[in-house]
Amino acid sequence: MEQAVTLLIILPWILALAVFLSPNHRLRQVLTFLSLPILTYLAYMVWSSDLPYFIETPHWVELGITVFDYFLLGYFLYQGFKFRSFLVSVLAIAQIFLLTWVLLILPHSITPSIYVDRLTAFMYLIVATVGSIICIYATKYMEQENVERENRFVAILLWFLGVMNFAVSVNNLEWFFALFETTTLASYILIRFRWDEISIKNAIRALWMNQVGGIAILIGILFAVKYYSVYNFTDILKINAAAISMIPLGFLSISALVKGAQMPFHKWLLGAMVAPTPVSAILHSATMVKIAPYLILRISPVIKGTLLAKLLITTTGFVFVAAGLLALTQDNFKRILAYSTISLLGLMMLTASMGSSIAVLASLLLILFHAVAKALLFLEAGIMEKVFHVKYIEQMRRLIEKAPITVFFIALGFMSMTLVPYGIFIAKWITLEEASKFLSHGAYIASIIFITIGGVILALLYFKVIGVISRKRGEFVSFKPEKLPFLYMITTGAYVLFTIIGSLFIAHLSSDFINLIVKDISGEFANVKASGLTLITPVSQLYGWQIVGAIILLMVVPIFAYFVHFKADKVYEYTCGENIPLNIGTYNFFCVSKIEPFIETTAVALFVLTLVLGGGLV
Amino acid sequence: MSKELSLILTLLSPVIGGLIYGFERIVRARMQNRQGPPLLQPFYDFLKLMDKRSIMIHSFHAFMGIMYLVGTWFSLYVLLSGGDILIAIFFHVLSLAFLVVGGFSVRSPYSVVGAMRELIHMLAYEPIFVLTAAGLYLVTGTFQVSELLKTDTVPILSLPLVFIAFILSLPAVLKKSPFDIAEAHQEIIGGPEIEYSGKFYEAVYTAKWIEYIYAFFFVFLFAGSNYLLGAILVVLSFFIVNLIDNSTARVTFRQMVSFHWYILIPLVVINLMLLALWRA
Repeated sequence: MEQAVTLLIILPWILALAVFLSPNHRLRQVLTFLSLPILTYLAYMVWSSDLPYFIETPHWVELGITVFDYFLLGYFLYQGFKFRSFLVSVLAIAQIFLLTWVLLILPHSITPSIYVDRLTAFMYLIVATVGSIICIYATKYMEQENVERENRFVAILLWFLGVMNFAVSVNNLEWFFALFETTTLASYILIRFRWDEISIKNAIRALWMNQVGGIAILIGILFAVKYYSVYNFTDILKINAAAISMIPLGFLSISALVKGAQMPFHKWLLGAMVAPTPVSAILHSATMVKIAPYLILRISPVIKGTLLAKLLITTTGFVFVAAGLLALTQDNFKRILAYSTISLLGLMMLTASMGSSIAVLASLLLILFHAVAKALLFLEAGIMEKVFHVKYIEQMRRLIEKAPITVFFIALGFMSMTLVPYGIFIAKWITLEEASKFLSHGAYIASIIFITIGGVILALLYFKVIGVISRKRGEFVSFKPEKLPFLYMITTGAYVLFTIIGSLFIAHLSSDFINLIVKDISGEFANVKASGLTLITPVSQLYGWQIVGAIILLMVVPIFAYFVHFKADKVYEYTCGENIPLNIGTYNFFCVSKIEPFIETTAVALFVLTLVLGGGLV
Repeated sequence: MSKELSLILTLLSPVIGGLIYGFERIVRARMQNRQGPPLLQPFYDFLKLMDKRSIMIHSFHAFMGIMYLVGTWFSLYVLLSGGDILIAIFFHVLSLAFLVVGGFSVRSPYSVVGAMRELIHMLAYEPIFVLTAAGLYLVTGTFQVSELLKTDTVPILSLPLVFIAFILSLPAVLKKSPFDIAEAHQEIIGGPEIEYSGKFYEAVYTAKWIEYIYAFFFVFLFAGSNYLLGAILVVLSFFIVNLIDNSTARVTFRQMVSFHWYILIPLVVINLMLLALWRA
């Protein structure tokens, strides 16, 4: 057990080193491929062992992390000077100062620094499966981009998996800061990877924005030590929630919001789009941004029902809608995906901050299914870039004629984020039902409005894109699937399979698997049951035949659509007799950009409110 | 409602919907001081369309029209078989998705614009449907239609503003004036339906009848177990919707969305807040 956790953290680093040093492309591919079975096996070992579990660490690890912290911050400072970024340097100096202060006042604690519960094991599983598959994909992707730097690229991705595993297993807030900043470093290096001007600019921006999150954690630790004299997650959770001061938790939530790229800190995640596509895939699905809902879930039992939670619900709900609106104005496929990630991260944090057992269940379902759906979509974005050379929606016109399989996968990915009966929809559905119970408070009514409006805006967005790619000139004469490289097919295919099967068995998945995690987080099982495929919630039921019916409607229909040929006379489109060139664009919703300043102002205001009122700073 | 009855009702829904549609045409004609077509006119149209030479752009497009019918039918069955209201609402989104993808899949400007407007329709009325479901839950304590039809309370007494907002959102659902922007015949010549003809248009046409039942069934739910009151409410709302349809002109999509978001949603929210205040 202890060995398994240690291996989960160390092994990706070793593999990364091996990949970095190996001279041969094939060898690197094999090494990367090894990560999938090994990490999955280890994560499964941890999952099936007796949890929750504390792990004592020797003293030198603590010392090592402190030294590492200073090296890391020193490196940030150096980068700030090197690229003449005032913000990065100042924030690095502030961090060094605050870190020293923290280290000086940190009381001795006997609580072990590593804490592995079901939530941690759940994150391990996501990192091991979703993350490793992206790394495997990356070997093929780099083959088509730049083989010389492949070793470096894949090594960083693998190393990132180890960092993520470490970050979700720490209990000590000071270590958490170290790991938080290490993910910042990893994202900085990855975004900078192409070394052109815009990459560096965006990487610097990502760096300073995430440093703000780091500073929030440090201040949070200072206040935690001042008010509670403890600085471990488990100790904070033990304090009586009614008597607790919210300031440290307010700062922790702020750092989660920053890491989760919530507005107005969303720009760093958008900037990350300049990096090679596997970077975006791994940032959005398995690592990095998932720290945000993870952190909120960790503290959710304490903040549940407080003003902080209500303000967090309002803030993230607002982001859910606003990011969706801004996504409508985008033309770049990857940026659309990025905005929809920001939006859905808002939803994950919204449900996490509600904190009731069913809301936590919804949040976990969202994390799981969003990881898979986003990984799938980003891999498809990479395929379109490398195989079909399209990046913009406008270039994707009539893609269905050239690439039916890719279009089918993209459509599935999009549908899995909005429609019945896919996992994300089901999470949304149980959240709506849960929020309906608390209509006495404005934040919960707001959350219902936000969830529905945001949901339809995202549906509008996705169908806009599906519409463009599915437009075509005439009949399918014969079904010609495009030839995709084997690795591309197998990686994306795995995600597609999971989305379908996971959604089909959603009832058992949530009542037998996710519910164990809910128990560890909120102390009680969520009241959902499965009978056959039917999902039974306290107030309602989603029948098995509805799930199966919807999957048949959604899955069989697009497949059928290629093969069904009606006997009817073919005609051209009716254009009222006008002779117009048939080259139709799509709605770009420029009208939305007018309200962008308003959105940003509101987002800033909500941030400040969350910190000041929710954190109880006044 | 028993399983058999709900199944029979669902299977008969195109006939019932057709009759409602025929009746509606008479009502509208009388409001305009005309004679109007006979009650069975929609079925005559149906037979005529069946007999037409079937032409299409491509099979995918035609297939999506048929799936729109199947999807709508499915969402109605979810509702009639006593399923969850929210699930029924989202199944309806699913069926609209087919219509929209079908509309997008042809290279016709009218069809594409119409499909996009169809989505904007959804943007307008969907939140009101979900909030209505939340309101019904708040009053009756359940989302299941089967339980709702057995409840002792009469939801409309506690949810008058929600009811008004819901009625006023019906024109957008049923694509009636002033919110008939998706198939505005004078501008975009029918919108997403424009490229359908013959048998395939028949499917889209029938789906619209089913949508009538789907929308008015929600009105029926406002009366709880009092079926007589429910019938009265349905008839009343039917007349109001037609009156609005006859007396207004089409607005732009911006006006539609802002009417729904800035007037109807706040109306629902005020009702829910007051209700919560009353309870506490």
